[in-house]
Amino acid sequence: MTESSPLAVAVADLTRTFVRSRSRLPGRLKRRPPESRTALDAITLTVPSGEVHGLLGPNGAGKTTLCKILSTVLIPTSGIAKVFGHDVVVSTTRVRPLVGVVLGGERGLYTRLTARQNLMYWSALYRQPTSEGAERTAKLLERLGLEERADERVETFSRGMKQRLHLARGLVGNPRLLILDEPTVGLDPAAARDFRGLVRQLRAEGRTILLTTHDMTEAEELCDRVTLIDSGKLLGTEDPRTIGEWLSAWERVTAEGVPAELIDRIRKVEGVAGVEIDSEGRITVETAGDGTSAAVLSLLVDGGVTSLSTSRPSLEEVYLHLIGSRGLNVG
Amino acid sequence: MISDGLRILRYAAASGFADFRTIYTVRTWITGWLFRVLCQVSFFALIGRLIDSPEYTEYLLIGNAVMIAAMESLFVVASTSWERWTGSVPLLIAAPASLALVLCGRSVQWLASGTASATLALFLLSPLFGVDLRLPMALVVIPLIALVGLSTYCFGLILGGLVLRADSLRNVVGNLTMLSLMAISGAQVPVSVWPDWLQALSAVLPVHHGLAAIRGVLSAEMGFTEVLMHVGMEAIVGTASLGVAILGFKRFAESGRRSGAIEFGS
Repeated sequence: MTESSPLAVAVADLTRTFVRSRSRLPGRLKRRPPESRTALDAITLTVPSGEVHGLLGPNGAGKTTLCKILSTVLIPTSGIAKVFGHDVVVSTTRVRPLVGVVLGGERGLYTRLTARQNLMYWSALYRQPTSEGAERTAKLLERLGLEERADERVETFSRGMKQRLHLARGLVGNPRLLILDEPTVGLDPAAARDFRGLVRQLRAEGRTILLTTHDMTEAEELCDRVTLIDSGKLLGTEDPRTIGEWLSAWERVTAEGVPAELIDRIRKVEGVAGVEIDSEGRITVETAGDGTSAAVLSLLVDGGVTSLSTSRPSLEEVYLHLIGSRGLNVG
Repeated sequence: MISDGLRILRYAAASGFADFRTIYTVRTWITGWLFRVLCQVSFFALIGRLIDSPEYTEYLLIGNAVMIAAMESLFVVASTSWERWTGSVPLLIAAPASLALVLCGRSVQWLASGTASATLALFLLSPLFGVDLRLPMALVVIPLIALVGLSTYCFGLILGGLVLRADSLRNVVGNLTMLSLMAISGAQVPVSVWPDWLQALSAVLPVHHGLAAIRGVLSAEMGFTEVLMHVGMEAIVGTASLGVAILGFKRFAESGRRSGAIEFGS
């Protein structure tokens, strides 16, 4: 497999275990045995070149560990990881120019430098000639809507602007594989939507993107394929449409001021998985089938209930459903 | 390749100077930092006055003025760990260029400020304490002060690489090193008062040879060859320190890759 390989990422039996030495117990001379935690457990995964691939899982699932290994920041305990055919452990000099990393949050930027200085700095770190770096910097600043603030210090930027600058920084080396580690975390909805628009543009350019998220809607919106990961184990790779089905299948309806008689009728609707009533009398109806939410909403509206809403389940809740139905063990 | 490295050093230095500008304006540097430096050097020089010894006053004034360049350069120990606070370390490791280049360049503001404050302390306080520096020949010591600052900076980089692993020790390590150098490098008392093994240790650390060269130039009692030999030794200490520091940074990155100590966002 070479740089022209159709596989951007090839991971086989990849395991990473963290060993942490522990302090002595009070009054004991002997140290306690080291504690080990397996963050990735024999994961096998391929991502074809040009694909937007989502890594979906709750916090601590192992998504970031995989990203760290692919970006050469972490060495696996065992197994093989290759980026465009180059081993990430031994061929770091070949892998690093091919990979751009974008982290969520505000860290990783030089906030006392201007946006332009940041990008020029990183273009030097990616060994681009000065003229090429300056040209690329100007283009990226324009493309990401930062040209008007290009010569202002980054510490004056909003969260959304910093995240766009992060993306520009990740792109300044013109990487073939872009790793986005929870890039929209902490962004307001409008900034997150704008950011997702930028990711769609990158997909149109044919770049390979590995996106970690615990936002199922984001994964559904952006990804060609999604890999579910939990407790270091790969649960499977799915089409994002399947995720959409999960989301709508386990929708929830919340309502206030619902008469007891109406609650009983809702419990009997086909597809209602459960009804919970909190201390303030608010009910949450969990559905598990197509059209069930609509039926419940119809009943509530007909019953004169006006304070109601629907919401999609969190990733953790979908996991509980999925894992429960597949009989997998949740660590 | 070399121009790439210089460019990275330049941007890393720009980042360091940007940090510096948030700490000091020109006015606060003069009224705050420089004033503090002048007080420190005067404090030690006054000991010479106290014992009514013009020779020892001169000895202390020169030694402590030069020591300012070393002291400020040693701030690199603490500021190396600022890169971790920025959260850029994993991104730097993932980049094709060496992490060491960035860390070598990101604290040079201390070297520049240290050279300036040590030079000003020497030339402003000497007339006040009746020390004749024999101008304009004494101007030769300015690059020698810069050399002392540079070799100490390189030595500080070694410690900075160690402190990257134990961030909470950054100020302790920097201060202990500075105090040790003040004691054994010939700033306060001649190196010859210490036991042989401590003299030998002092000779492989920064300041010792550079300060000897500066004293030699200012007193006009040292031959050109001897001055040059001391300058060469100081340069060797600095170069060797830089080499060890670069290896230390590489080791930090590699051990971090193995242990998982390099966190995204750290």
